[in-house]
This record gives sequence, C-alpha cells and structure tokens, in this order.
Amino acid sequence: MSDAAATLAQDRQKLEMSALSAPAVIFTVAMIAFPVVYTVWLGFQNFSSTGKQSFAGLANYSRLISDYEFWHGLWVTIALYVLSLVLQLVFGVWLALVLFHAKRLPGIVRSLFISPFMMPPVVAGMMWLVILDPSLGAANYMLQSFGLPPSDWLASPSLVIPTVALIDSWQWTPYVALIVLGGLQSLPPSVYEAAQIDGASPFKTFQRITLPLLLPTIVTAAILRSVDLLRFFDIIYITTQGGPGNASNTLNIYGFRVGFEFFNIGYASALMLTLTAIVFGAVLAFNRLRGAVAW
Amino acid sequence: MTDAANTDRWIRWLNLVQLVLAGVLIMAPTVWMVLSSFKPSFEVTAYPPTLVFTPTLENYVELTRTTPFLSYALNSLIVTVGSTALGLLFGIPAAFAVSWTRISWPAILTLAARMAPGTLFLLPWYVMFRQVGMIGSYTALILSHAVITLPIVIWVLLPSFDGIPRSVFEAAQVDGCSVTRILWRIALPLVASGVAVSAILAFVFSWNYFLFALVLSNGDTKTLIAAAFNFIGEGSTQWGALMAAATLIALPPLVLAALVQRWLVSGLTLGAVKG
Repeated sequence: MSDAAATLAQDRQKLEMSALSAPAVIFTVAMIAFPVVYTVWLGFQNFSSTGKQSFAGLANYSRLISDYEFWHGLWVTIALYVLSLVLQLVFGVWLALVLFHAKRLPGIVRSLFISPFMMPPVVAGMMWLVILDPSLGAANYMLQSFGLPPSDWLASPSLVIPTVALIDSWQWTPYVALIVLGGLQSLPPSVYEAAQIDGASPFKTFQRITLPLLLPTIVTAAILRSVDLLRFFDIIYITTQGGPGNASNTLNIYGFRVGFEFFNIGYASALMLTLTAIVFGAVLAFNRLRGAVAW
Repeated sequence: MTDAANTDRWIRWLNLVQLVLAGVLIMAPTVWMVLSSFKPSFEVTAYPPTLVFTPTLENYVELTRTTPFLSYALNSLIVTVGSTALGLLFGIPAAFAVSWTRISWPAILTLAARMAPGTLFLLPWYVMFRQVGMIGSYTALILSHAVITLPIVIWVLLPSFDGIPRSVFEAAQVDGCSVTRILWRIALPLVASGVAVSAILAFVFSWNYFLFALVLSNGDTKTLIAAAFNFIGEGSTQWGALMAAATLIALPPLVLAALVQRWLVSGLTLGAVKG
C-alpha cells in the first residue's frame, strides 16, 4: 500500500517537474527548433523577385558551390576567425598572468578591465570608426607622431580584416583573460612552490607547468570565442558593411544581405545552414581537443 | 638573499608596468569616446586632435534635438525589460527542474541559440512574423530577444540551485510541500543573489543585441542599437553627436556590469568555468 502511495507521489513530482520546465521548452521549440526546421525547408525553396515561391530542390546548394561570393565569404570568415582567435588567446593569457600577479585588485579596476566586452559591439564599432578615420582619426595621429606612415585601416581592402580583428580583440581579450584568470586561481599553489624549490626560472615554470595545466581552460575560452567569431556580424555591419568592396564580407554578413537586402530567402537559408554546420563542427572539434588536454 | 629580494622587486615592478600598459590599452578608446562627446563641435574633428578643451553639452543637446534619441531609448528599455522578464519567468522554473531532476536536455536545448548564427532564426522569423503582421511590434522584438536572455538565466542559475543542500528540499517534501511551493518559498529566496546576477546579465546582453532589431523593428519600435546607423549616417562632421550617442548607449550595461563584476566569470561562461 505504502509502495503504491510512494510511486504515486513520485509520479506526481515528475509531472510537476515537467510542468516547471515546460514553458522554457515550449518557448525554445517554438522560437528555435521549429524555425530551424522551417529554414531547412526554405533552403529547398526558390523565391522569385516578385515574391513567388517554388520548389527548387538542391538548386540553392548547387548554386552555393559555384558562387564566388560564398567562397570569398568563407575565406574572409576563416581569416578573420583565425587571426582574432590567436590574438585574443595570446593577449588574453598574458593579461590573465598580469592580473593574477597583481593581488588584491580593487573592484573598480576589475570593472574597468571588463568594460570593453560589456559594452555593445555596435558602440565599439562606432568609437573605433572615429579613432581609425584615415584623415582625422587619433590612431593615424599617433602613428605619425612616432614617425610612422598613416594607414587607411577600415578603408583599405588589404587591411580591413586585420583591423576588424584588432577591434574585436580589443573588446574580447579581457573576456578571455577573465576565464584564464579563473583557471589560474584554481591551480593548486603547491605546484609553483615545488617548481620554485627546484630553482626553475619563471619562464620555465610557465612553459612546463602553468601552460599545460591551463590548456583545458584556454580551450574552453577558444570554444566560447569560436562560436562568436565564426558568426561575426555587429562590428563589421556598423563599420564597413562588408566593404570596402567585399573585402570584409563574412558569411554571416553575406547571408544577411542575400536574405534581407536581395530578399532571396531560400538561398540565404542555404548559406546560413552551411555556416551553422561550420560553427557546430568547430565546437565539436574543440570539444575533442578539450578531452585530449584534460588532466 | 639580497639578490633574490632584488629580483623580486624587479619582477613586481615589471608586472606593475605591464598592468598599467594593459589598462591604458583597454581604457584609452573608451576615454577618447567620452572626451570627444564633450568637445565643442569644431574641436571634435580638429587635427592634430586636442586633449585640452572646454567641455560642453552641445553634442548631447544636438543629439536629442535632431534625432528621436529618447524614444529609441524607451524602445530599447521596453524590449530589454520585457525580454529579461520573460527569460526569468521561463528560466527560473526550468533551471530549478533541471537542477533537481538532473535531466539536462532542456538546458542544452536553450543553448542552441548561443551557438547558431542569429540570421539562421531571423530568416524564418521574418517570414513567419510577416505573415501574421507582427513585424515592427514590441511582441516580436521581446520574443526574439528572450531567445538571448533565456539561456543566460538558466545557465547562471543552475550552479546556484545545485548549491542548495538536497536535505532542505527533502525536509520540505516530507512536510507535504508541493514542488512549485518549494521553488517559490524555499529555493528562490536562497538563490536571490543568483537571480539578480542572471537578471543583470540578461539585461546587458539583450540591450547590446543588434541583429534581430535590425530586421524586426520599424521606425516606431527601433531600439537604440538598431538606430546606431542613423547616427553614423549623418557624416563625419557629426562626430560629436555620434560619440555622445555611443556614450549614452554604452552607459546602462557598463553601470550594471560594474555592480556584478565580482560574480561575472561563472555567469559569462554559462557554467563552463567555475569562477
């Protein structure tokens, strides 16, 4: 009898638990799962200039393969991704070490250090647009006062990708540093003490002990940044809109413009599904890597 | 001994230099933005740039006079507060249920939005919202931004709920409390600070989000971020007003982030790192 009562209570509890997560699940299915399935369907559709819709089969995907702008966008996306990720990881680890050794950082200083990535990327784009202005910007003034030639920055087709990478790195390096700092603080201090007794130099200690122990944290930071960097949008859309020409036309920018400027929803869906597959592929690869460097 | 002490002092000095260097690199662009916003219009575009000037509010006056800045700000506030509230309403019970049952797929499902490019959702939303005539409505904007806030709320709250000893719940259960009652009366007060952090982070990221409002808003419901273009469009002679707009847009998230900076690490990594 009491057994039956217990199962009844358990069933009741299970039901109540499902009821608690139901709104979040229903919302997510309605706003994400269903639309994604819909996008897959849209990817097989052709939208004519008059808004007429017809079944296109794999036409959008075969168009992708022969579309120069797609391959160019893929190249821009990957170049921007690799450059930004390397910059942010290298300087992020450096900044984390600096912050780690500056014990007892006052809260206000910490707030200042996190301020870049708490502000909208759009604002970051606006401020750098003014600073990097080729003729009146402060950046070129600095260069010239050091005797260096001025640069065209965002207006130069060959420099626009490094410049955008620099802006994003200014914004997100402190974020990487904050994650790595968390990793540093969780390392057992006994490791350093042992190294110190053995007379290892600070550089050797870092190379042989700190860095290997930090690798899982660094890979975590890399995953979190990869997800954002591969779908790079805000800063480019505000500063160059993919220009000059198409020099900074990432896949996400290209897909957005195909969808909402040329209203070719079908082809844009195919582009976005491809980009999503790339993002998930990168995350899976890094997850493997994280398993390999775990300790 | 003195040798070691000397090296020690050297290292500390070197570290201080690096700290200051990092601080300058991080702060200089923001300081430049704020300074420019207070410069008289003829000095904003002066070359070489000036550092000493008589501060003025003329750019801010100009901004509110020539653009509907305040109504954009109100739109941003409506969308951000609405989506944060929705995120909390759906996210708090879900986080509690996931923490209790250890069935984690609902939490992972919401993370999909954190990984896929926003345009992937925006395309079908655009088609769907247009069919029901909701393009430009606050409802569409709030719903789309709740996709940002919901995973933040769930993943920030999960560790907080996990931190409550199970015995607390079991005792309440023995007393005949329903699960819902346990959540609202017992668990929620215990994780109040976590709720505050999640609400602030949700607010910040909803406020900062650009892409959805770019397509789903119209002239009347445009948020500040989506309107940023209008400020840029006015050309390089309007730098002062542009920097005033940028400063005002960045202010709410920066102030809120400063309040919770201590708890930010674990919240920002969605539980990937124990802060």
